[in-house]
Amino acid sequence: MKPRYAPCAAGLALLTAAAGAETGHVTDPQIAAIVVTANQVDIAAGELARAKGQSKDVKDFAQRMITDHSGVNKSATELVQKLHVTPESNPTSESLKRGGDENLAALKKLRGSAFDKGYIEHEVAYHQSVIDALDKTLIPSAQNTELKALLVKVHPAFVAHLESAKQIQSSLGKM
Amino acid sequence: MKLLACVSQTWGIARPCLVVCAGTLTVGAGAPSATQNAGANTYTVTIEGMRFDPQTLTVHRGDRVVWINRDLFPHTATATSKAFDSRSIAPNVSWAYRARTVGEFDYGCTFHPTMRARLVVEPRAKAPIARTNRAGTLR
Repeated sequence: MKPRYAPCAAGLALLTAAAGAETGHVTDPQIAAIVVTANQVDIAAGELARAKGQSKDVKDFAQRMITDHSGVNKSATELVQKLHVTPESNPTSESLKRGGDENLAALKKLRGSAFDKGYIEHEVAYHQSVIDALDKTLIPSAQNTELKALLVKVHPAFVAHLESAKQIQSSLGKM
Repeated sequence: MKLLACVSQTWGIARPCLVVCAGTLTVGAGAPSATQNAGANTYTVTIEGMRFDPQTLTVHRGDRVVWINRDLFPHTATATSKAFDSRSIAPNVSWAYRARTVGEFDYGCTFHPTMRARLVVEPRAKAPIARTNRAGTLR
């Protein structure tokens, strides 16, 4: 039983650390790196879940994460190119990347319903962390109005994803 | 052949035109706009920030409803009853539906279950131009 939930705990701790690191001021190039990394991390987890997930709800959710976060990243990339902003790696983006890699490694050891639960549990924690980061740090810190507008625009998507993930988590818990 | 070519060309023009029109309609989202058929209006529902705006739209039978997706990823406008289904609407693309069936239609995005809205289609109150029937009375 122990290995089953170990990845979730690791993922939670790293994501919490990532959110906690965002207490200070961040620059627009750093925000760009955080946004792109945050989306990449969830796309990678979604690709794994689409392939390894057991339930249809989990596979559908994974596909939605791939599609939606790819759409956000496409717009974010186009915007930073237009603004001539070069994404700048920072402790938060690095922590997100590291947490994403460790989550993938841990999820790869799971299968069946344990995988579904591990993936969805991480999705709940991940989306909550990103929402907290958007509210507390990223949106207030963004200087460029277009970058700020993009962050505001994507906020409802993260909220809706969180709600869906929680619903799936609840239904998985009843199985 | 000439007629067929003409029809084909008309369709070729009409389809992209639909998208262009939708772009201009977003200013008055939910409000009636330029008419195509006598008495029929076109209404726009904007999809942005994971919601349909307006949440409830009331139109008359024969009106046209255009959903335009202003989000960064695809959405659908799908009636629970399956009375209409846009399938995937890509970002910055619109989908039009002629409301031919009277009723109240709850609809949502099949990709994002939290997105819900309602389309109400009412009977057309009266004909746009009063006509007399054979008995000479107003219809």
